[in-house]
Amino acid sequence: MSRRRAPDPVRVLAPRAEAGRISRRALLGGFAVIGTASLLGCGSRSIASTASTDGALEGRLNVYSWGDYENPDNIRAFREDNDVTVQVDSFASNEEMIAKIGASRGTSGYDVLVPSGQFVPMMVANDLLSKLDHSLIPNLANLEPAFTAQPWDPGNVHTVPKSWGTTGFAYDQTLIDGRPTSWQDFLDLAAGQASGSVSLLDDAWEVASIYFGAKGIDPNTTDPADLDAAEAYLTEQLAPHVRNFNSAPTQSVIQNEMALLQMYNGDARLAFSESDDADRWRFVYPTPTANLWVDTWALARGAQHVDSAHAFIDFMLDPEVAIGEVDWNGYPTGVAGQRALAEEWELDMLDLIFPPEKVVARLTPAELTDAQDRLTSILEQVQAKAG
Amino acid sequence: MARRTQRTTASLSFPVWAWLVFFVFTPLALVVWYSFGYKPDLFTAVSTDQLSFDRYGEVLDGVFMPMFWATLRIALTGTLLCLLVAVPFAYWMAVKVDPRWRPLLLALVLVPFWTNFLVRTIGWQVILAPSGMASDVLNAIGILDGPLDILYTRGAVQLGVVYNYLPLMILPLYVVFERLDPSQREASRDLGAGRWRTFFSVTVPDALPGIASGCLLVFIPLMGDYLTASVLGGARGTMVGQIVARQFTSAQNWALGAAMAVTLMAFVLLTVLIVAALFLLVRAVVRRARHLDLGVSP
Repeated sequence: MSRRRAPDPVRVLAPRAEAGRISRRALLGGFAVIGTASLLGCGSRSIASTASTDGALEGRLNVYSWGDYENPDNIRAFREDNDVTVQVDSFASNEEMIAKIGASRGTSGYDVLVPSGQFVPMMVANDLLSKLDHSLIPNLANLEPAFTAQPWDPGNVHTVPKSWGTTGFAYDQTLIDGRPTSWQDFLDLAAGQASGSVSLLDDAWEVASIYFGAKGIDPNTTDPADLDAAEAYLTEQLAPHVRNFNSAPTQSVIQNEMALLQMYNGDARLAFSESDDADRWRFVYPTPTANLWVDTWALARGAQHVDSAHAFIDFMLDPEVAIGEVDWNGYPTGVAGQRALAEEWELDMLDLIFPPEKVVARLTPAELTDAQDRLTSILEQVQAKAG
Repeated sequence: MARRTQRTTASLSFPVWAWLVFFVFTPLALVVWYSFGYKPDLFTAVSTDQLSFDRYGEVLDGVFMPMFWATLRIALTGTLLCLLVAVPFAYWMAVKVDPRWRPLLLALVLVPFWTNFLVRTIGWQVILAPSGMASDVLNAIGILDGPLDILYTRGAVQLGVVYNYLPLMILPLYVVFERLDPSQREASRDLGAGRWRTFFSVTVPDALPGIASGCLLVFIPLMGDYLTASVLGGARGTMVGQIVARQFTSAQNWALGAAMAVTLMAFVLLTVLIVAALFLLVRAVVRRARHLDLGVSP
């Protein structure tokens, strides 16, 4: 111990007069208080504000989207054309994304978000999105008229449609006879030939909509009697035949794990095109109705790379870029003339990308209603009783 | 000088204390605090302006309890299977193998940790699929006729957890076996005990601390595991960790999720205490039954 040591090993950045009085114990206590306060601070109501546009692209852009949703070639092209580093993170459900954005109160660091349409009004009401500057998105003119007047965001104040699709079911024709067409057929097959080999989406609205579809009830119903009936039927009649809950069961098709799978149309196309034996699979747009979902590009409240974010959204609305997205994830975008361009690009299984017009006409967009909690608890009951 | 040493030691433990305060006690306190709250509306995950025990009532009424028993079964079976596989392997590695090869074997045990937990589990999903490798092999050697039907069952989860947690059992066992003094085994043999008697009466009692820590290392994380079950379990092999995770992610009901997490922690602690008490009881009974009177009267 020849080296001289300072009596107190705590180093602080504080006025010299104060420093002498800071003991280790006080420091520890201070840490505890700061730690608790910063954690509790997550619940406070103030929100960081969005940076303003200045015409110059920032060198960075943070995108928070669904897993494997954007075409990496497009991301690379945007990065190289504009010298902007693009970071894409992924979430698995709207709820997960909203929880993260809501809890960080504008400090999440994300600039562009991809919420589904029905969640947009709530996100706006809770101040989680910023308004778009239309002068920075000239390609808005490329949108089909239907996508500029969506009920959840008329006039594209906060969002721009990204991709849309619908729900149906795929089945293995070597294991199932006949040609099912409706949700009632789905329920009959699940209880019959496909029993024990059925996969459902891990989504409360979608699972309940099978029953509502089969019985001709509006899938957005909030009538407690309908919900009770759905719970009774799904837990007792459907759950015992279900093998798995998976929101993207492409692997299950490729590995021939299931006979009957509830899935989205674009995922079915992706799975069929990677299957060694695509001919054994068939996809059904079931009657009488199914979900019509639209995912959107939105600007996060508190975004710091606003010019890049607008440039990115504008870039994605370019028809040639948009068709690259279609090619990648198998879902149409809101940009006009995509079907013709898809034919020109010789994309396969076009009927799985673009649902026929008479199908689109009968679809029902999912709404976020007071029944959401009840639907979640129904799904939980179904999962507990399944298998 | 004594006081000075004490102060130095205290300052060395500072990172540990800071870590515990920041990353263990504070979050844990928040979880407990949230569990007394409620979910006020669709958009807010938790509110604590009215405190109650209602969430705990919901936990005990809902699907939590049946799920807990199923998970407990998987976890106890998994821990036992890990122990059965790990004891002979660790013993062989620590006692029988030439010491030159031990570091290599140890490295091989750790190799799976080089790959992400999720990726390894998905690997099993591919292997166990009806058109997967395991199915082909079993069909080729004639054990099975037709596609293998194990993926998305409790059996697949059981296999997955044993695979995932086995190294955590092998390592502490290896450490205790390696430290055992060979002369004790020799003494046992000289006194007429056979191989099995020596193993169960000399080696195992000395290895008990390692066995206990191995079982805890496997059992406790296994009770909270939800990844293995999400990937391999399907509808029939669900575990309680999945419904806790669901409350925090898709259902966005942090109050109920927190109450579930606290209940799970309490039950896991209770299980460990019950098993420990049973073990001490059995050991006391065995010792009494085996009591050896050496006939040296005072």
